[in-house]
Amino acid sequence: MSEPMSDDVVVKIDGLWKRYGLPVPEVVRKVWNLARRSKNSGRPEDDGPWALKEVNLEIRRGETVGIVGRNGAGKSTLLKVLAGVTTPTRGRVEIYGRIFPMIELNAGLNMELTGRENVRLLAAVMGLSREEIESKLPDIEDFTELSEWFDRPVRTYSSGMLARLGFGVAVNVESDVILIDETFSVGDLKFQNKSLARIREMRESGATVLLVSHSLETLQFVARRGILMEQGKVIATGSSLEAVTAYERLVFRAEQERLEHRAKNRISTQEANIYSARIFGGNGETLTEVPVGTSFGIEVEFRLNRPLLRPMFSAGILNAQGILCKWNISEEDGLAEPGPCGRYLIRAWYPENHLMCGAYEVHFAVRDATSFETLERLAGLVSFAVIGDNRARGIVCGDCQWELIPIEENDRPSDGPEQTG
Amino acid sequence: MPTTDFWNRGVYVNTSPSARRWPRFFSLLSALVVRDLTSRYRRSSLGMWWAFLQPLILMLLFNMLRGFVNIPSDGIPYVLFSYAALTPWTFVSNSVSSCGPSIITNAEVIKKIALPREVFPLACVVATLFDFAVSCILLAGMMAWFGVPVGLSLLWLPVLIVLMAAVAFSVGLLISGLGTFRKDFIFATPFLMQAWLFVTPVIYPLSTVPESWRLLYMMNPMVGVVEGFRNVLLKAEPPPMEPLACAVVITGILLAIAWPVFRSLSSYFADVL
Repeated sequence: MSEPMSDDVVVKIDGLWKRYGLPVPEVVRKVWNLARRSKNSGRPEDDGPWALKEVNLEIRRGETVGIVGRNGAGKSTLLKVLAGVTTPTRGRVEIYGRIFPMIELNAGLNMELTGRENVRLLAAVMGLSREEIESKLPDIEDFTELSEWFDRPVRTYSSGMLARLGFGVAVNVESDVILIDETFSVGDLKFQNKSLARIREMRESGATVLLVSHSLETLQFVARRGILMEQGKVIATGSSLEAVTAYERLVFRAEQERLEHRAKNRISTQEANIYSARIFGGNGETLTEVPVGTSFGIEVEFRLNRPLLRPMFSAGILNAQGILCKWNISEEDGLAEPGPCGRYLIRAWYPENHLMCGAYEVHFAVRDATSFETLERLAGLVSFAVIGDNRARGIVCGDCQWELIPIEENDRPSDGPEQTG
Repeated sequence: MPTTDFWNRGVYVNTSPSARRWPRFFSLLSALVVRDLTSRYRRSSLGMWWAFLQPLILMLLFNMLRGFVNIPSDGIPYVLFSYAALTPWTFVSNSVSSCGPSIITNAEVIKKIALPREVFPLACVVATLFDFAVSCILLAGMMAWFGVPVGLSLLWLPVLIVLMAAVAFSVGLLISGLGTFRKDFIFATPFLMQAWLFVTPVIYPLSTVPESWRLLYMMNPMVGVVEGFRNVLLKAEPPPMEPLACAVVITGILLAIAWPVFRSLSSYFADVL
């Protein structure tokens, strides 16, 4: 094996572009377009979208790199190009050492064959020679935990058993670079842990691991370096936590956009008009992203066309899943001003922001508290994102204090669990 | 945005130790052949007997045909005459038609792992070679029954088998490569095979072909193969040199076209599957 040029770089990607499909030579395409144009004055035929655009990347020996990105960002395409399954359209990909893709491994199975026969087939497909296969067969049989099922036709297997078969072979293949695409989700927890342990083992023996997973949790724990892809480009690199955080912001922003573009669901009596709304911070500045835990407010500009003795305003905050996280009514919170006709600004201030990271939208309504009539109700009035760097997730944020208390055997405290904040 | 054409495309370099490439290729080939053979007959009651039956039924049909039309057979019992030709013909026909969809049926593997893709059509050809061997047993039995004398000319047999496999592989390679992009090539295969059968001296001997057409006729590489089999097995003679030489040259040309075409197409298989 030739020694890498620079120190320990195992994967080198230089200006990689990828477009799927058979490339048509320029001349042929021009002639084709001419022929088409004469027939039905259409615009020139395009070759389709670029799956990867100008990707540059260097990965060193022993690194574990997680790739995150939304669907269609080009993650799987990148792995396919690295694996040599599909050729780069433009640019240069260099790999120093053996590369092995663990991509949905149960694909090559033949349903009529037994587990053992399929293992032989898969191992050959994955690049083992015949002697290697025979020497590794007991290890593989052991790893898959199929016992007597190992010699039964694969068509009688459950999907979990199928996946274990493929994975059992894959983890026993030795390679310098390993590509993993969504394979952690197979099998039960015990099997998942076994797989993770095997990957750690491979990493410790000096292998380079590249993995794509939608489980951000797995990525953060397994990968040290992270890459964020969006629309075929690498838009951020850094530690895996940084990449995951950047990815979440991307998702929140996209959700926020989606919430903004959603048709507003409005009930109106023309007795009140809502003009505008915004999210603002401590200095009155307009915000689209609120840092987790900091106070913020909602401001709505509206006009009353009918005098109200007891106007009542309500504001609800919903997360991207449509769960109502917070709902407040002005009357309950002590606002008791009468409202003659005219133009107003109403402000709702949240000194304690307990919203967890994510995208949110605001629902707002104006009511008459004497008759409970709704004058105006607007769903999706304004949207915002709450952002933060912590791994903690959920619906609410807030401190959590942990304590680890050893219990002496035969001397259990009788007064229940320790109270913690 | 860069423009793309055939002459200026991306580069993929993998400096993995190449010493393991050939053992890997053979291990893969044998695994695929074993898979094809074991899975093909696993759920059929007649199993390997199909390898006997197929040429046998064709032979009986031809024999019936001969009852209506006068077909010369160079003085050899017609049953033997046609069966000796049908054995290599069935092999070529079956391997070409199993090669055609071999890339598409292995799509799941090709989409996920980098392999030398030639291995799939090649595995089809090798697996069909087993059926050929079974069919040969029947042929040997018939030869013994009719008391056909055999001689040293049997040493030509390996040459003919390699040539026959090369014909099947090169045509199969071309059809599987093109058929992956356009299914039409696969749909057309049965018709192609039928037409090919009629321009091959299987039902009739080469001697019935008019002299003026013979050179053009021998452009069909199967002429050399089939006539070679007949000469070697039934007449205890070496194969006729002129058709054999033609067959070797044409097969060489076919392979020289099919392989590069398949190679350049194969890097885009994963894109279209």
